[in-house]
Order: sequence, then structure tokens, then C-alpha cells
Amino acid sequence: MSIETEDPSEIDPAEILGSAIERREDPALITGDAEYTDDIQIPRMTHMAVKRSQHAHARIEDVDTSEAEAMDGVVDVFTAEDIDVPGSLPVGWLLETLEQVDHPILAGEKVRYQGDGVAIVVAEDRYTAQDALDAIDVEYERLDAVTDPSDALNGGPEIHDDAADNVAFEWEIGNADETEEAFEEAAHTVDLEVENQLLIPNAMEPRAAVADYNPSDNQIDLAMTTQNPHVHRLLMAGVIDHPENKLSIRAPDVGGGFGSKIHHYADEALTAWAAKQVERPVKWVATRSETYQTDALGRGHETHGQVAMDEDGNITGLKVDTKANLGAYLSTFAPSIPTYLYGTLLSGQYEIPAIHCEVTGAFTNVPPVDAYRGAGRPEASYIVERLVKHAAEHMDMDPAEFRRQNFVPGDAFPYETPVAMVYDSGDYEKTLDRALEMLDYEEFRERQEAAREEGRYLGVGFSAYIEACGIAPSELVGQLGAQAGLWESSLVRFQPSGTVTAYLGTSGHGQGHDTTYSQILASELGLDIEDIDIVEGDTDEIPQGMGTYGSRSAAVGGSALVQSARKVVEKAKKIAAHQLEASEDDIEFEDGEFRVAGAPDRSMHIQDVAGAAYLAHDMPDDVEPGLEASSFYDPENFVFPFGMHAAIVEVDPDTGEIDFETYVAVDDVGNQINPKIVEGQIHGGVAQGVGQALYEGAEYDENGQLLTGSMQDYTVPKAMHVPEMETDSTVTESPHNPLGVKGVGEAGTIAAPQAIVNAVVDALEPFGVENIEMPLKEERVWRAIHENGGDA
Amino acid sequence: MEFEGTFTIEEVSPEEVWLSLSDPYMIKQSLPGCQFLTEVEDPDDVDFEELREAEPDEDPPLLPEADPDEVAARGFDEGSHYAALLELKVGAVKPSFRTVVTIDEWDHPVGSASGEGDASGSSFEMDSGMELSETDEGVAIAWHAEADVFGRIAQMGQRVINPVADRVVSRFFSNIEDQLTEVAEEDESSGLRDRIKGMF
Amino acid sequence: MAEHDITLTVNGNEQELTVESRTLLVHALRDELGYTGPNVGCESSMCGACTVHVDGKAVKSCTMLAVQADGTDVTTVEGLDQDGEFHPIQEAFQEEHGLQCGYCTPGMMMTAVDFLDDHDDPGREEIREALEGNLCRCTGYQNIVNAVETASNKMGGSGAAAGGDD
Repeated sequence: MSIETEDPSEIDPAEILGSAIERREDPALITGDAEYTDDIQIPRMTHMAVKRSQHAHARIEDVDTSEAEAMDGVVDVFTAEDIDVPGSLPVGWLLETLEQVDHPILAGEKVRYQGDGVAIVVAEDRYTAQDALDAIDVEYERLDAVTDPSDALNGGPEIHDDAADNVAFEWEIGNADETEEAFEEAAHTVDLEVENQLLIPNAMEPRAAVADYNPSDNQIDLAMTTQNPHVHRLLMAGVIDHPENKLSIRAPDVGGGFGSKIHHYADEALTAWAAKQVERPVKWVATRSETYQTDALGRGHETHGQVAMDEDGNITGLKVDTKANLGAYLSTFAPSIPTYLYGTLLSGQYEIPAIHCEVTGAFTNVPPVDAYRGAGRPEASYIVERLVKHAAEHMDMDPAEFRRQNFVPGDAFPYETPVAMVYDSGDYEKTLDRALEMLDYEEFRERQEAAREEGRYLGVGFSAYIEACGIAPSELVGQLGAQAGLWESSLVRFQPSGTVTAYLGTSGHGQGHDTTYSQILASELGLDIEDIDIVEGDTDEIPQGMGTYGSRSAAVGGSALVQSARKVVEKAKKIAAHQLEASEDDIEFEDGEFRVAGAPDRSMHIQDVAGAAYLAHDMPDDVEPGLEASSFYDPENFVFPFGMHAAIVEVDPDTGEIDFETYVAVDDVGNQINPKIVEGQIHGGVAQGVGQALYEGAEYDENGQLLTGSMQDYTVPKAMHVPEMETDSTVTESPHNPLGVKGVGEAGTIAAPQAIVNAVVDALEPFGVENIEMPLKEERVWRAIHENGGDA
Repeated sequence: MEFEGTFTIEEVSPEEVWLSLSDPYMIKQSLPGCQFLTEVEDPDDVDFEELREAEPDEDPPLLPEADPDEVAARGFDEGSHYAALLELKVGAVKPSFRTVVTIDEWDHPVGSASGEGDASGSSFEMDSGMELSETDEGVAIAWHAEADVFGRIAQMGQRVINPVADRVVSRFFSNIEDQLTEVAEEDESSGLRDRIKGMF
Repeated sequence: MAEHDITLTVNGNEQELTVESRTLLVHALRDELGYTGPNVGCESSMCGACTVHVDGKAVKSCTMLAVQADGTDVTTVEGLDQDGEFHPIQEAFQEEHGLQCGYCTPGMMMTAVDFLDDHDDPGREEIREALEGNLCRCTGYQNIVNAVETASNKMGGSGAAAGGDD
């Protein structure tokens, strides 16, 4: 089922959109020519290291840096007292009830999580910088810590003076009265308590920054691991009080992000600030321990979900109450994740007349929690699909048929849910049917029955997921609290010789944007892909941008690219008409060629038009020389990818070990620009979902000390942990963007966990197991089996 | 995290064990990585550099060479405070913990102490206790400790800490055992054991 | 800190350099000699992004001191292609989309080349086990396994066609 790639040089521009071509970015990445942030060397460069709190919650009594300052090779040491700029990290999404708390780039009075920065050392080399950290003496008065959101809300130690009872916000969506009524009238109700554990993102490249400051023109050049350089520039300009137009931020090659490189952390700002202080280049590279201590965590929900049904098993109401862990401070987009990116997706693929969801955000003594691949939507899909499995079981109905019965019907789109979303398009039965076919479902149920008689426990789990991505219309997100617009921008520029450079405000970090965007542009302009260059991730080169997250690059960035390309064609058409001495209305554009209708031999290629536009010897009236166009594309709605993932597992009741027999993913992400890239996104997303379901979880002791602080203690899935996946897709175009695409970056991660947990619960049904919390480690599975006596 | 265990020393009396475990010099020499162990007046105001420099080159003799009355006189008192510098190898790091311990209870056969240690990037807080009892095999020392660890060491997790704790505890008791075996041998000639027994 | 003069032959070029006793091979290669292909992804020898060949065998260069490598032949990812031609493993990774962000890729390929030197026709499970010490967060490994299978074929192994999950 693997998709075969094609050599792009053998593909006609007319065919290139939708072709599984090899990736253009690979030659640099497979030869060592790539440039990641830590690869950058600048003459006179110094190295920065951050002294971090060993306590999760403590008052700082004294910081003695004298010994460190006296060390050979130490250039300077700074503490909170030295910070002469605002130095407080902003939050980019506000809610009505949100308690905004100060988030200093170096803690001066109090540390609130293990890893909170207390001082920085700038030294001649990276080893000396680390040595000097050990020479800094910090005296703390340790305070009680709390890591669990419910504990924090119920009498936990006060973390911020301004946030009583550690409540960051209280938020709700849906209609409480109607939902209450649905439950009163229900023939059946079921409920579940589930936890969606804290995850550490683990991009393979740790965060890093290299800053170079030129005092004579007050210019800071900052290369850093970022998914959104323009957003970082805007925010950092305020944090370090530096003019935005004198701060250039560039994303070199970035080794994965998964959300963790969206946020504005302290360290990158400190790197830029320190370069200005010491007037020498400064490099900071996180160790893996530091990424474990400081990268924004994902998930962290404790949820009670309830479903109401009529006597035929039609869902009539859904009630969800969630306590969301926000960590010690509000990270950049933290308030939006457990609210608008979560509560709005609780209708899943189902027609549910009444939904009500309440969320309380809690401060705790763990690192800040923010977007991690999926961001809110995995949590929504998890509770919905676990409840649906539970409800089907309660009704003694087949889980696939229970879903089919409750799906939003194919003819109901656009479909407005009770939680403020309007689904663009969908055909949920199609992905279900394809998945059932791939599973050979009926045969499986027979095998499952036979296996049980032999004392073997097989189970199938489904996950009918939907997500809202391609984030999103600026006006709408503004109403919801976003402090930024979420358009995307592009510039398409022909050079006089006919080559093209396109500049995009998204910032890829492994997704293959160079390839995808080239395919779009080659198709729009009728050019060979070799004539196209794509530039991303540099505030100096790209006019503006919002970055890459929320599966938005193809849907929003790609659309911005199409919009600019079409403007270019429009202008070129005027010039071509003039040159061909024809009326503009008679000019047709196809495969890069402007032709006079009815006179096919009178034509001009767009690359020749570019030459003419820059030569400008013979231009139509009112047309400026040159051939380029820029645009800001603001989508009119989110896009709504969906699909059906299903897993078949076998559980060994003696050990709790889980073996995959099959993993099937049928995704509908709209049109696919490069199916091989789409497949890769699904594979990688599912692997992260497998990680959450079976292996991963940030664990803290009662003092807030991280117990899973290295790759030895936190299991990032290895090759043999991830099952072989069978993937397929259906195509339901999004009507909202010119490409008809829906976004694929997060689909696998959103879909996978509940497919796996549902499969394990299905396998253990004879033991009376109704729920097991992730990660489903062997011991936990074994305990669940034996809790009820261990008899099938 | 919590640790506990019982260590049995054969062919000794509870009094001998008690006297040894009450002796700061015995503890210092038996505890792996202990650079010094010195009684201090004010636990909140300890200058470790000064104490390190003031440390004499040679410690007074331990049992069996030492006079049991002198050992008893320098033994732990309830409410007293001690400063210690502990160098421990934990995984790849070797932190020096500046440690202050308070003797909370010291009444034969029960003793308990609490303290905290601070190293660069790591620290710990600990409550510990022991109780001696006579068994058919000898003297059983039932000990327990509850420790909170912070920072770099905590991050290594129990996977690393538990073996270190096991190593420290087992070396400590086997050092004590070795010393007490010498007491037992000495007794063949001098009647030291009866003298110690008579002290309680 | 004591310093040592050492000689490394990196990708066929003999290079002399001075390192501290504690300098890791990966830092000597990256910071002193400019071979930035091997990447640092962890400090616990778990991720494998820094894998290079030392005297022909795959070694995690963050677990070896530069002084220990004195006098050895080191091959980094920069030394894989010959005379402008990609090594079969490089071709295979590109054809199979065996990479996304590329950070783990140099180490992944160096491990795979060492493995394929000793294994003619590995099965998919065997490949997955061979890659145990190399973590990838992007690809879900399936296309990496495909790439190693494809490379095996290119290198003369008789393994099943890539995409053996069909």
C-alpha cells in the first residue's frame, strides 16, 4: 500500500499537482549539507547556558554568581536583577475570565517549575558555560508543589498571587439547559472519567538560538528553532524592547517541532538580549535534559464525560467537564488549546442535538502546557470516541454500526454543530466502509470469537475523528480571543530570465513545504519545477507571515500562494495581450502559455512575458514594469479533515503485553498535493499517537520533580514499537479554499490513541475491563485485567 | 522516595552496635563519600569551607582501640546538629552535598535523624530512623529513610537513585560490621564487651 | 584541563587537532572540524542522531571521547556520497521519503549502512530491531524501513521489494 515516488523531472507541469514526487529538500538533508541552528558558527561567538531551578516551587533567597564570574573563560553572568527590559513573556490568546500572570524571562523572586531559569552564563565555549552553572550558588526556600490540576484547584499551594485557587480561567461552550434536558429525557446514559496525560514533544532537534548584534546599527540577527519567525519577532521585540524592524529572525533547517517551537520561550529572548549586552555573538543550545524540563508540554486533561441516548441508541446529549493543566505560567497560545481548539470539536462526526462543556484551567508546578501536535483536538476526539465505544457496549450494539447510526449524514453539509463549528464537507460512512473492508471486519469478529475460546484476546478499536485545522479566519479567531490574525501571506516574484521565487510566511520544519509549494506553483504557472525556488522562515526576506502549526500550511499558505500566482498571471495576461496585439478577453492561459483564442500559433510563454515585463520597453498603459504579486489570504472557515482509524490488537492476559495485528488509517484530507508527503504525515502522526497510547507520559513526583527526564525514562517510540500501517484515503474537497485541501499534519496524532485504547478495551471485554488510562503500559493492563479477578 | 531494610550483624550485642552507631567518628569512617562530620551549634549558619579546613588530619581511634567511655561521651545527643560533606557518585555526576543533620531522637534502642543536603543543581531532604533488636542470629538493625530529592539527581529517577542508595547503605553497614568484628576479636583478650554492656 | 593533540582521518582526509580530555568526538567533528552532519539529539546515547563510522563500525559519537578516536578512520554522512554520486542508502531515503525534518537521518543512514554491510537480505522486523538505537520523531519509521529494504536491494541484497507492507 506504500505509495511509489516519481522523479519530478519526468512529470509535466499539468500533472504535477497530486504527484508523489521525491522531495526537493532531501539532497541537503541526506548529505549533511543542511544547516540546523547549532551548525552555525560565527567568529567571536560565545556560548550561553541557563542556570535552572532544581525546585518546582520555591522562593529565591539569594543568587551568588561571584565564583562563576571569576572563572576563566566566563564572559558574563546575568540574573533577574540585570534584566533592564520588560522581560515578561506575553500570552497571545485571551479569554474573558483569564488571569494573566507575569512570566519573567529570569525568575527573581520565585521559581514555579523545575527548570525555571534563574541566571545565565555567557562563556567562551559550551563546556565552560556548563561548568560555570555549577559555580552559581542559589539559596531557595522550598515551597510545597502541586502537579495535578484537580489537586491544584482544590486547596493546592498558591502559585501566583493573582490567581486565587490556582484558577487560570473558567470557560464553557454549548447549551447547558438543553443538555440538561436531554439527560433528563434520556433512555440511557453512560459516563467515563478519563485522563489525557502530559506529553513531552521531543522534536529530535533541541531548541537553539544564535544571536549576532551589531551595535552601530542596533541590528539583531537571530537564527533560531522556530515554526513562526514573524510571530516570534513581533513578540520578542516587546519582550526585549527592541524595534521590530531591527530584529531579524531566521529559521534555518529546523529538526521537527510538533508545536514545541511555536511558543515564545525565555531562552531565545535571553540569547538575543545577551548578545546585545556582551556585544558578541551568542549561541544557546538546549541539552536534551533542558528540553525535557522546559519545552511546553502537551495535553494534561482530567475529564468526566457523559452521553445521553434514546432507547434506540441515538445520541441525544453530551456533557463534558474538564480540568486542564496549564503548568506554571501561561505559554503563548495556552488558553486557546483546552478551550476553542477542544470544546468546539466535541461533536465529533456525530449529530448530537445538545452539547455542553465546561473547562477549568489550572496553574500547577509543571512546565507551561501549550500546543503539541493536535493541540486540543486529540483530547476532544479521545473523550468522544472513548464514550462512543462505551455507549455502544452499553447498548449492546456493534461499535461500527453504532457510529454509522449517529454520523452526521452525507447530505447534511455544511453542518452546524451545537458547539459553534460549521463543518465544511464530509462523507463519514465512506471512510468507515473502507476501513471495515481493509480490516475484513466480519471475518475478524469470527476470529475474535474463536480466539477467545482458545484463551487468546483480540480486540478491534475504532476512531472516527474529525479535526478543525487550517487555522483560520482572522475575524473569527479575533472574536474568540486571539491577539493575532491568522491569515497567511505570500509573494511570487518572477526574475527577468523566467525563473520564479515564492516567499511564504509559513515556516516548514520537516513537512516538505519546498516540494509541496513548488508543485502548487508549477501547476498554477505551468512551469517546470526546476524553475521555482521557495523561500520560507526568514523575516528579512518574507514580507509577513503567521507560521506553520494547526495543519495550516497547505490550506492557508498554499491558498495564499495560489492567490499571488493568480495575480501574477492576471498581470502577465495584460502584458501578453499587449505584446500579442490582442484583446485581453481573447487571451487564454494554459500550461504556462498565453494564447490568442482561435489563433493557436499566436502565443507567448509566461517566462517570456516576465522578460518583457522587466525590459519594460513596450508595456500596456497603466501597467507597471516587473512581474510579481503578493497577497494576504484569510480563510473563510477552518477546514475539517476526518477519517477512520482502526487497530486490531492482541493482549496477553498473563503479561499485559499488547501486540498489533493491524493498523488501518483511512483519511480524508481533501485534495492531496503530494500523496507521498500526505502518507508520511499520517505515518508520523500515528506513531506519535501510538506513543501516547502505549508509552509516553511526563511523570512528576509530589514535589514536582520530573521523573521522566531523559530518553531513558521517557519512551519515545522506537522502530519496533510502531506497527506497520495500512493507509488509504477518500477525497472530499474543502469548498473553502482554491486548492480544495484540508490539512494533514495532525490527523494521525489526533486519531490514533483512542483507536488503540478502544481495541485493548475491546480485547479485554471478557474480563469486564471498561477503561484503562494511557499510557497502556504492560503493568497497567495486567492490573486492569486482574482488578476484576482476572477471569474471562 | 522511601527506603527501608534490616541489616543483621552476627555475634555482637545490641549495646556494641548502639555505641558504634552513636559515634560520629564511626559514622564518618563508615559512610561512603563522607568527607567530614562535625557537630555545629547553629544549623542555619554553617560555613562548610571553614569546617573542611578545620578538619584534623587524623581522627581519634574507634572501638575497639578507643576507650568505650570516651566513645559514649562523644556520642549523639538528642537535639544536636551535625554538618557533613558527602561526595556521592550518582550516574555520570559526582555532587558534593553540604549536609546538615539534626538528631531528633537518640534513646537506645531507637534513633532518628533528619536533615538536608545541597549540591550544585541537586539537593535532598531526609528523615531516617532505626531500631535495634536482638535476634537468634545477632543484632537486627531495622532502618528506614524517606527522602525527597531535587534537581539533576531527581531527574535521573529511581532507576539511578535506588542502586546508589542500596550501595551506600550496604557499604555503611558492612563497614560497621567489619569494625564490630574487630571489637568481638578484641574481646577475646580484654573483656571489652562486658565493659560496654555494663554501660547501659 | 589537559589538552591532547590527536589525528583523525575524516572521510579520507587526515586532520590534526587539539582537544580537551573531555571533548566528545561529536563536538570535535562538529565544532573543531566543521562536519555538522552528525547531530546531537540527546546526552544519553539514546537517539543515535550523532552516529558515525569509526574504523567502519557505527558508533554514537556523543559516547566517545575525541582522544579515544585518535588515529582512527571516521566516516560521517558527508563521506557517504562518492564522486558526486549518492550512496544507495541516500538514494533509497530520498525515493522512499525516509525522512522528514532530516535531523535523525545522518545517524539513521550510518547505522543502516553498517547493518547492511553484515546483512544481505534483512526482513522488516530485523531492520526495525537494527534501528533500535536511532530515534525518529517524524516518519513513524515505516518509510525508513522501506528505504533500508530498497537500499539493500540496490546494494545487491535480494530482499523483497520496498513497501513490503503491501
